[in-house]
Amino acid sequence: MSKQTMQLHRRRFLGSALSAAGAAVLAPTIIPSSALGRDGAVAPSERVVVGGIGIGNRGTYDLGCFLEQKDVQFVSVCDIKETRRVAVKKLVDEKYGNQNCDMVRDFRELLDRNDIDAVLIATGPNWHATAAMTAAKAGKDMYCEKPVTKNISQSLILAETMRRTGRVFQAGTQRRNLPHFAFACALARTGKLGKLKKVFAHPAGMQALMSGWLPAEPVPNKEVIDWDMYLGPAAWRPYNEKLLDGFNFEKGGGFVGAFNGGGVLEWGSHCVDLCQWAVGDCPPPIEYNAPNNGQLMARYENGVELILRENDWIPLGSCPVRFEGETGWVEAGDSGKLVLSSPELLAGRTVDEIGGYPATFHVRDFLDCVKSRGLTKGNADAACNAHIACHAANIALYLNRQVKYDLAKHEFINDEQANRLRSEALREPWRL
Amino acid sequence: MGATANLFSSAESEQHCWTSQQWHTLKQKYFEFTHDNTSGTEIMFTTRQRILTFVLIVVVTVREGDCQTVTTPSERALIEVLRSDAPAADKALACKHLAIFGSSEAVPELARLLTDEKLASWSRIALEAIPGAAADEALREATDSLKGNLLVGVINSIGVRRDAGSVDSLIGRLQDADAEVSSAAAVALGHIGNVAASQALRQALIGKSVNNRSAVAEGCVLCAERFLSDGNAAEAMAIYDEVQKSDVPRQRMLEATRGAILARGQDGIPLLLEVFQSPDKQLFQIALGTAREFPGNKLDQALAAEVARLAPDRAALLIQAMADRKETVQLPALLNAAAKGPTQVRMAAIVAVGRVGDATCVPYLLDIGIESDAELAVLARTALAELPDDQVNKDILVRLAKAEGKGHVLLLELAGMRRIEAIDELVKALNHSDKSVRNAALTSLGSTVPANKLSLLVSQVVSPKYAEDIPLAVQALKAASIRMPDRDACAMELAAAVENSPLATKIALLEILGVVGGVNALNTIGTSAKGSDPELQDVSSRLLGEWMTIDAAPVLLDLAKSGPANKYQVRALRGYIRIARQFTMPEQQRVEMCQIAFETARQPAEQKLVLEVLKRYPCPETLQLAVNARKIPEIKDEATQATLEIAQSLGSTAEELQELLSKDGLIKVEMEIIKAEYGAGSTQKDVTEILQKQASDYQLILLPSSSYNASFGGDAVPGTAKTLVIQYRINGKVGEATFAENALLFLPMPK
Repeated sequence: MSKQTMQLHRRRFLGSALSAAGAAVLAPTIIPSSALGRDGAVAPSERVVVGGIGIGNRGTYDLGCFLEQKDVQFVSVCDIKETRRVAVKKLVDEKYGNQNCDMVRDFRELLDRNDIDAVLIATGPNWHATAAMTAAKAGKDMYCEKPVTKNISQSLILAETMRRTGRVFQAGTQRRNLPHFAFACALARTGKLGKLKKVFAHPAGMQALMSGWLPAEPVPNKEVIDWDMYLGPAAWRPYNEKLLDGFNFEKGGGFVGAFNGGGVLEWGSHCVDLCQWAVGDCPPPIEYNAPNNGQLMARYENGVELILRENDWIPLGSCPVRFEGETGWVEAGDSGKLVLSSPELLAGRTVDEIGGYPATFHVRDFLDCVKSRGLTKGNADAACNAHIACHAANIALYLNRQVKYDLAKHEFINDEQANRLRSEALREPWRL
Repeated sequence: MGATANLFSSAESEQHCWTSQQWHTLKQKYFEFTHDNTSGTEIMFTTRQRILTFVLIVVVTVREGDCQTVTTPSERALIEVLRSDAPAADKALACKHLAIFGSSEAVPELARLLTDEKLASWSRIALEAIPGAAADEALREATDSLKGNLLVGVINSIGVRRDAGSVDSLIGRLQDADAEVSSAAAVALGHIGNVAASQALRQALIGKSVNNRSAVAEGCVLCAERFLSDGNAAEAMAIYDEVQKSDVPRQRMLEATRGAILARGQDGIPLLLEVFQSPDKQLFQIALGTAREFPGNKLDQALAAEVARLAPDRAALLIQAMADRKETVQLPALLNAAAKGPTQVRMAAIVAVGRVGDATCVPYLLDIGIESDAELAVLARTALAELPDDQVNKDILVRLAKAEGKGHVLLLELAGMRRIEAIDELVKALNHSDKSVRNAALTSLGSTVPANKLSLLVSQVVSPKYAEDIPLAVQALKAASIRMPDRDACAMELAAAVENSPLATKIALLEILGVVGGVNALNTIGTSAKGSDPELQDVSSRLLGEWMTIDAAPVLLDLAKSGPANKYQVRALRGYIRIARQFTMPEQQRVEMCQIAFETARQPAEQKLVLEVLKRYPCPETLQLAVNARKIPEIKDEATQATLEIAQSLGSTAEELQELLSKDGLIKVEMEIIKAEYGAGSTQKDVTEILQKQASDYQLILLPSSSYNASFGGDAVPGTAKTLVIQYRINGKVGEATFAENALLFLPMPK
């Protein structure tokens, strides 16, 4: 077996693990070994030129996953923090043995470069949707960390924009490219559990996440920290160092908390997303009940219940999901392990246990689709539906009452307060 | 803490449900916010601040008695906040409330904030959300006086609200000298998307203005989308065509190309095929994406014909797009491309058949699966393994019964890859004279043999007809054993085989037992570890050391105390300590295990491992064990470090730590700080003097604050993890240590 074919097989392991359950199989980019250089080097015409926007802790991890792909050429880093720009340039230049990684403070400069095909967006959640839409309109494909959107309106516009611009979008929902989660979802989706009845997700804290308006501190030199660009589409507030945690800043929700984001969103964009996949990547639920005893129940149009619950999980690591059908159930978590109601569900197979939710396979999926223009696992439509489910659950949580969602009109039925929470104005001059 | 901070933290911490009985708690909360916690004196608030405070607490906490609805806050009070001299933060918060609860009554006060650079964005959060003409009019009116970003923001909000009444004003703004303003107006007109807006944008598209062409084209495409969704395909088509032919940025042209194809419906096929022939890579890519979303089945035949007209690299990509049209894909076209032609296209087609093919594809793929081209053959085998149709399994079974040669091997492999129950055919093949046939059969048995026939594989390991097959038989038995539903029953069967096997086979079976796990496996391996054979002792003690369940602890302890050889006793003790370190168990049990491990350990290396466990699980009992360990001279330094770390984790103050060690005889040293730097990357702050002042006669350095930033005069690199690097001398020996931000400063004794 040639080296290239072996690489192909490693990329395709997931599809092999799933085919018994009828899951969609990733179509990788196919290049015969004869087309490659002696050392397996990728021809310039086959390379994907990538830039990074907002490369902090998570971004640096993602970047590592990109850099290990031979067909990636990373050429530019954008960050509002000088220290990060310098650190990423050092990392990239050391990888390539040159000094070519460009550094910019304003991501629009990076998007103006015609040689860049795709961008990694790993800013804080405040920026994700706005940066993604701006990148799409600039003709870039993108891998965008989650949570991708701050509200229902952004979720819908995201899907529309990616369709209109013809861009390849991958949400940072890397669990969709891990074999045990994929297998569990496939069992549910393909009827191996009998008629699907309930899907469970662990939101890990159904409460508000704060950022806030803190006392003003002296604004740093914008070459060191560009506060205006950090705020970006978020409503104005004075500089305060504590708000520089991009991970928690303006995560979305728009609730009168007043600066909070919905707690369901942070982990829901992973575990609710997996539930969506298990149900068949259908539109989001149409009813969301008020929380009760640490549980929030939503219902899909086909009657399947989506239950967000904090407790009663088998200890399988973070981000657990559980799918229950009439004849069986499966539960999976970040340990890489599955628990099944019956070993027969494995149909004699073993499922690769890959714990620690690595993003390597997800990045590979993205790069393959950049070339083939196919749909990524975390495509914009899938991300849109999962995020709407999270936002709507947050709204039910905030309003503490049942809300009903009209899938055709994308509005809540006879509930003006809930409807007003569907969107939020962006700070000038930003728009979607 | 000032009123602002209180307000925000209170609002964020309260999301629960209130009943009428809880009003007294609400009142109490109001009292807490308006009085100093320590002195009990009332904080001086203005009347308006009091109103705001009370309103906000009510908004976020009060629900009706049945907990089903949120009580609407007083809009009047919120408007009062906007009118008042309240801090900007309070006004921002009021805007957020008004976005949900405000009406046209709030609009005038909100509109006044549109000129405020700090609060305009907050104001628009409310104005964008409040329904009705008043908000539209306020935004429209604001465009008359605003400039720059504030004007752009208002225009963006008008676009979001799709205010048709603003179209004339926005059309005027298309000529604005400020490119940001004219671009915002173009996109807003695109969102509104009515006839007047689209006409103006189309006019602008052929105009000479260059500073907003991208936005004008974006607006045009948005209009076209709206016409298309409203059923006016002709108008949409016209707009798309105009954009496509205009001098606009490339991405806008690509969007228009996609739209022009889709808007034409089935008549768009020729245009799509034309784009596939474009030498432009980006146009070709747009064609690939558009082909995937193009409706109906007419396109599939056209795409099939297109494959032959494209260069191999492009044809391979087109094949992938064809396969993504699962509902209408032309399988014969894919099979044809898989059978002959350029290798790259064949490869893509084989993979595609694996994804969307059915039982009719089996003979074609079988032929490719035994081709001499290894890459193609492997892809064909994978495709055969993945074909989703259940009928495929029946077809393979029928073919297996009469197979010969290379095809026989491939079918045997497929039986395993597809988990087909073909035990009889597989067993028959075990005696075949061709080794490749036997190997394929063994591997597939490993994947498919049921529990009641596990003995088939056991016998292939213990008494094979061909000795050369043993390694593969062991692999197959291992694969089968791992998936057995009753692992204890499986272990029992394997254990029985261990009894009667030669040494090499015994070792192989023990290795499999180690993977299977369970009580029976544990007992078998435990017995073997205490047996007389050195090789079995070695293998078994290693397997026990890697055991994945807590019930191995007593077996390991027994081996540690009375094992047949010292090296295996040490290995067993390390395995015992590993269980204490890694596994979930009641804290008391862990403490007892650590205590026993200390008592059993005869060397500092193992004692230090126990200290690591203690540090990982800080509690009063582990602290006591660490303190006790300081009496062991060989590990006193490490025990001191562990004591400090555990005590710090338990919340001890620096003074308490020093006292703890002093009581226990902390040794005085001659300490000198040579140099110390705190920071990240190239930004480093010299903190030598500060540390020199804080250093004493002990290895422990107590800082004025537990925060490095506070101790060293601020944060030189905000938002970045920092380190403290200290060069020092203890008793004349030079050392260097690096500490993560806010770590306890205990300087190791230089070696």
